[in-house]
Amino acid sequence: MARQSKPTMSRALQRRENISGYLFLLPSLIFFIGFVVIPMIICIVTSLTDANMHDQSMFGNFIGFSNFTKLMADETFLEALKNTFIIVIVSVPTVCAFSLWVSSAIYKLSGPVLSAFRCIFYLPVVTGSVAVTVVWKWMYDNYTGIFNHVLKGAGLIDQNINWLGDSRYALWCIILILFTTSVGQPIVLYVSALGNVDQTLVEAAEVDGANSFQVFWQVKWAQMMPTTLYILVITTINSFQCFALIQLLTKGGAGTNTVMYHIYWTAFKLTEQAGHFGYANAMGVVLAIFIGLLSALQFKLAKEK
Amino acid sequence: MKKLLALVLAMTMVMALVACGGNNDSQGSTPAQDQQQTEPNTPDTPEPAAGGGELTLWTYPIGDWGKEEKVKAITDAFTADTGIAVKVEYLAYADGDDKVNSAITAKSAPDLIMEGPERLVTNWGDKGYLVDLSDMFDDTDRGEINAAAMTACTHPNGSVYEYPLVVTAHCMAVNLDAFKEAGADQYLDLENHTWTTENFIKAVDALYAHFNAPVGAVFCKGQGGDQGTRALVNNLYGGTFATASHDQYTWDDPKNIQALEQLKSMPGIAFDASLEGGDEIKVFYQGILKMAFCWNIAQQLNPNQADTGAGLTASGEEIVFMGFPSESGKPALQGGIWGFGIFDNGDQAKIDNAKTFIKWMCDSEHTVDAVKTANYFAARSSAEGTDLSGIWADNEIMNQYQVLMPYLGDYYQVTKGWAGARTEWWTMLQKVGEGADIAETVATYAANANANAG
Repeated sequence: MARQSKPTMSRALQRRENISGYLFLLPSLIFFIGFVVIPMIICIVTSLTDANMHDQSMFGNFIGFSNFTKLMADETFLEALKNTFIIVIVSVPTVCAFSLWVSSAIYKLSGPVLSAFRCIFYLPVVTGSVAVTVVWKWMYDNYTGIFNHVLKGAGLIDQNINWLGDSRYALWCIILILFTTSVGQPIVLYVSALGNVDQTLVEAAEVDGANSFQVFWQVKWAQMMPTTLYILVITTINSFQCFALIQLLTKGGAGTNTVMYHIYWTAFKLTEQAGHFGYANAMGVVLAIFIGLLSALQFKLAKEK
Repeated sequence: MKKLLALVLAMTMVMALVACGGNNDSQGSTPAQDQQQTEPNTPDTPEPAAGGGELTLWTYPIGDWGKEEKVKAITDAFTADTGIAVKVEYLAYADGDDKVNSAITAKSAPDLIMEGPERLVTNWGDKGYLVDLSDMFDDTDRGEINAAAMTACTHPNGSVYEYPLVVTAHCMAVNLDAFKEAGADQYLDLENHTWTTENFIKAVDALYAHFNAPVGAVFCKGQGGDQGTRALVNNLYGGTFATASHDQYTWDDPKNIQALEQLKSMPGIAFDASLEGGDEIKVFYQGILKMAFCWNIAQQLNPNQADTGAGLTASGEEIVFMGFPSESGKPALQGGIWGFGIFDNGDQAKIDNAKTFIKWMCDSEHTVDAVKTANYFAARSSAEGTDLSGIWADNEIMNQYQVLMPYLGDYYQVTKGWAGARTEWWTMLQKVGEGADIAETVATYAANANANAG
């Protein structure tokens, strides 16, 4: 009898604990479902329709995969997709490598100096993206920007370079700004991760004759893998979703159109065009698929490592 | 303690549900609103609501209708006169359309909106969001209002979605001091404010030879101020942008291709994808560019809206407004027409109040103030017996500017698919600027615009 009552009490206790847990989760869950899950479902559903802002109903007519077929032949979208991939492919590895390099150089510094470096690198992150972008815009300005002024003063160029208006430079200018605003968080995370590396393993490896590179690659890097994975995924998502810089600097011109910006333009600017919401949502779904695939690949590679 | 926490969380959940429920209640009122929408509009000038009421007005920066202190003065006078309060929101061209479209989608559009026919008639009116104002025009009104403005404000289905208040002609401007310095002022007809294509080319060459840098920019970062680049290209060799019936875009006209080839070949003209109209004005105001293609009387009165003196650059050089260069020297200028539209939010009392507002601003003794606030010209000759033709007699610049008004050309901005066509236009200019084959590029983007026009 006593044997039977004990598990019964435990289950009741467990049930109460579960209920409390779920109730704690509930407020967040309501917002998560309301502002993430439901919009995602609406996005997927409307991507299969010709929905537009002029319909009385939220969803237009079901048109199957027509929006996706149309996307594959849409030169503007394909160019935007190409630009987005260039941003991701260039920005993600450079952000990770640079962050790791800076973190390795500063994590052993004394407290105040380390804090100062953290502040310097984190400043562009906490500063509003609009403020940062406006300053960069001044520097890049074709007519009065400091870059042209310095380069001309140094005799390196004869005519001003139209940094944000010339397709040979504009995308790289965007990537540079994205880089400066993206490295802050990874540096802070890597400094923390390097500080948490188990020193006994490092010392053991050194006693066994491992050189600095081997210690880093075989011991430290392996222990920092969860941090690296997080940084890779977050940087990839941020790079894929690059929008504010494009909106504020080039409006998608001069070869800087990205999928995120094209979604915005199609959904909210080309409102006269039939099915513009459905079409923009189809772009959103394609972008989400690419982000999902790349993130899954990163998880898999990190797991294998 | 746990029970207390659970209770608090449960209450949070219930409150969230109640909040959602409240939203449903408001949606529940929709059928009643629909019922009101089916009621016929009250004819002619409605009586002000007995209890006053409140209107929301969203206005783009149309002259000083974008400045709160000026607008407040006139709306306060309206409120004092009618008892109807007006809550004004000021839109920017950069994101104004987004705000309006979002508001329409969320069914929270304003009662009144101030803009031009390209938005009010071709876009929101065409989609059925605006109230037909045709009952506000009798024969006298139609006789007094500028015929081109009246036509532009009228939808092909006969509905009038905009009550015009002001009109102007968009033009370009030159830095006269810089022209004199380069010896290029000889190419300007300063009396008539016009010049020929041949003289424009000579002037640009002279300026470039003197300053050794681009002196004018075919700006193409976005759609802001794009009426300037369209007018420049169309006028150089007499090309057109759209058919007279406004059902097709014709900018693949060989004359436009010739104009683009000419502009591209000139070292003094830059195709600049880092500038929009507003940016170009700023660079011109700073004295860097020697001519601006995005200009009108509001800019002439207050260049770059910097309050540093009418007709002067930042460093005090003289700015002269000019028509766009054409082979004959007689340009076809792009018109600007601005007025009010009423969103059909299903509340007849608000629609009546909005009509009272429009009548007060556009057809009464107060129209003088409303027009002067815009810094443009009245869209009608007189309003309820008040002569509007001489309201700028005391302003020398406004009087001078009237020399351009006879050159007003076709108001083609009401061609279907306008928003998409604008995107195609500036994207095309970017490609031309990058060195793409001009004829092929123009054909491609004009075809895209026509495809969107459907």
